Amino acid sequence: MIRAISLAILIVINFVLQSTIFGFHDLGSITPNLLLILTMSFGLMRGRREGMLIGFFSGLLVDCFFTSVLGPYMFLYMIIGYVNGFFHKNYMVEDVLLPLIVIIIDDFFFNVIVYLISFLLKNRLEFGTFFTNVILPEMLCTALLTIIVYKIYVFINKLLKRKEES
Amino acid sequence: MRFDSKKDISPKYLLLVLTIICVVLLVMSYFASDSVLMIKKYTSKFIIPIQNSVNSIGLWTDDKLENLQEIEKLTAENEALKRELEEAKSTITIYQGKLDELTTLRLLYSLDENYPEFHKTVAHVFAKDSTSWFSTFYIDKGTKDGLFTGANVMGGEGLCGIIIECQDEYSKVRAVIDDNSKISAKIMPSNALCSVEGSLSQYQNGYLVATDIDKDAAVSVGDKVVTSHISERYHQGITIGYVSDIALDSNNLTMTAYITPTVDFSNIDAVLVITDTKKTIK
Repeated sequence: MIRAISLAILIVINFVLQSTIFGFHDLGSITPNLLLILTMSFGLMRGRREGMLIGFFSGLLVDCFFTSVLGPYMFLYMIIGYVNGFFHKNYMVEDVLLPLIVIIIDDFFFNVIVYLISFLLKNRLEFGTFFTNVILPEMLCTALLTIIVYKIYVFINKLLKRKEES
Repeated sequence: MRFDSKKDISPKYLLLVLTIICVVLLVMSYFASDSVLMIKKYTSKFIIPIQNSVNSIGLWTDDKLENLQEIEKLTAENEALKRELEEAKSTITIYQGKLDELTTLRLLYSLDENYPEFHKTVAHVFAKDSTSWFSTFYIDKGTKDGLFTGANVMGGEGLCGIIIECQDEYSKVRAVIDDNSKISAKIMPSNALCSVEGSLSQYQNGYLVATDIDKDAAVSVGDKVVTSHISERYHQGITIGYVSDIALDSNNLTMTAYITPTVDFSNIDAVLVITDTKKTIK
């Protein structure tokens, strides 16, 4: 129960940060995908089920606020969380390289799907411009933040584990 | 993760269920947008206040950051301005000094023009008696520059003193306010002869004392006192001061006048020394 509540709080915090502060301070109009980091981290640390659920609720919030229909981001985050869960067996506490690689692939995948759905279908064909102007900066930004944020999540996860065991 | 520990569903089925929920929601948002709007409404009710507060925090921090930057900027500017001010101040000091010198020299020049009949040379005061109301001082010219003992010294607008000791490089001047100074003078325009004495006690009040004035002389306050033609050591017609007060002596034969000197002895810098001796003027 503690885990569910703390995860819910984490999701809300990340969503709020992503939608307010990082947009507000205008890092070249690029927003690091904090929710993706959260989904990836817990998918990696805890496995498919938790990654999937966190992705699902993160996506729900994003859908509720930024898209006209409910569903697409939910599904996207959920799938990413689920797939990341497969790497759970490779997970080691001190390892930073694996989450870094995974988040880069995740972010690339995420952004390409968004591009496919909301731009390509509108006949915006210049993928190169989108890639260099949006996808690449966001990937770098997110990857950089992952290095810091992932450590925090590992720490939180450790605390939660200790709580559950006691 | 044990959201529901009793029925630990396999992730695969959970994925299936959630996917179905997604699809249902998607379809619903197209065909029954009202019910989806409900979900949106409730989530926004929960999230928007948080967003607002975070936003205000963001605005606040941004404001503070801006303030900090402003402070840094202003501090740097302040430093630069202070430095500039220092430079300007030193420049001003230099100019002030030059201006002072200019004023003194201008005064001397006008004095020089007032007495065209004399040959004069400019000398600077380099030492004073250590008392605040000095009556002797040293000037930086001596016999090498043609000065001699007994040469008249002028400053301000009139007579300042006389050289009582003349060395090669410097001279000692006794001011008219010195207690030993006694000058034969006359009061214009009545031409009444008198002798102007320095008096330390009177100089405390700012006066020189002119004694031995004939009691019948038409002397009034404001009259000019100049050196007289009968003086051996002082050239004729140099202003000493102006009459400030007159009193009849107790002997009922003479009057005593109190004279305000024209030279400000508390602030004396450059003086003019007359290089002619009295005898050369006829």
